[in-house]
Amino acid sequence: MHGRSAVSQSALAALPRKQSVTTLASALALNSAQPLVFMRFQPAWTYINGVREFVSFFCETTFGRQEVADRAQVIIQETLENAVKYSDTSARSELELEIRAEDGKIEFSVTSLPDPAHVESLKAELTGLNAQEPEQAYMSAFLRASNEPEASARLGLARIRYEGGVELSLQEQAAGRIRLTAIGTL
Amino acid sequence: MSRVTSIPVPALQSVVLELTPPNLVRLSGTITSKEPDPELTAFLRALQRAVLEDAVSELRVDVSGLTFVNSAAIRVFVDMATWVQREARSAYKLRFLTNRRVTWQKTSFMALSSLARGVVVVDHVE
Repeated sequence: MHGRSAVSQSALAALPRKQSVTTLASALALNSAQPLVFMRFQPAWTYINGVREFVSFFCETTFGRQEVADRAQVIIQETLENAVKYSDTSARSELELEIRAEDGKIEFSVTSLPDPAHVESLKAELTGLNAQEPEQAYMSAFLRASNEPEASARLGLARIRYEGGVELSLQEQAAGRIRLTAIGTL
Repeated sequence: MSRVTSIPVPALQSVVLELTPPNLVRLSGTITSKEPDPELTAFLRALQRAVLEDAVSELRVDVSGLTFVNSAAIRVFVDMATWVQREARSAYKLRFLTNRRVTWQKTSFMALSSLARGVVVVDHVE
């Protein structure tokens, strides 16, 4: 499923082209008070596979569709990888994963405490990504990977958006924490 | 004698490699390591060089059993295609055998075949 949700598309259409990713986040967020899933854990690579497999199982069981589980796997793997790679290494650094579903939409959010230098590059990456349609951004990311063989892949965010069928947004929170949100249709 | 037959196949943690000379390699399992496994990348590069030296017209890469990969692993396939285009001067084709029911395979190899037109061919085995 590669299409964006009707809600996401209309929310995006209502925003100026260069809208900040922070405003985009509030425009797209679901309002349900209680997440279906809430997890808090240390930002360690070794947890990612287990969390991804649990979320895949949870989505398949809860929503009854393998396709939702497949999309969730990509979203979880790549958002957690991103959060773990750039997390502050202090003891107060924790990740929070929340999954919400409401009115045919699903939202995944990961809150982390990143190295401050990463926040600006993530905002720039998201702004560039959101300026293109998901498929176009995905192709651009492949082209960049091909042209920069020594650099890191940087396919993850484009992959989340296109393979996951979601829109991405970023909120900066208190004490240097950030919340990356992926929202799409069920 | 085919150079492909002399390539040692590494035993990796989450992915199984099977090499069938003269030109078929099968990967199955998952790849989610932080960086691509150096043994995997070295094996694939050695295989690509051997296929070139053997003057085989295509390398068949069966990924249909590779159920999930992260973006670092997708990078490995991008690099394979780029190598054929730039280093091997498109001397052979990379034919990826995929499972159309596996989401990452459908999207990634669609993109790769578009990026490396004439070098990457995608077939569905399921």
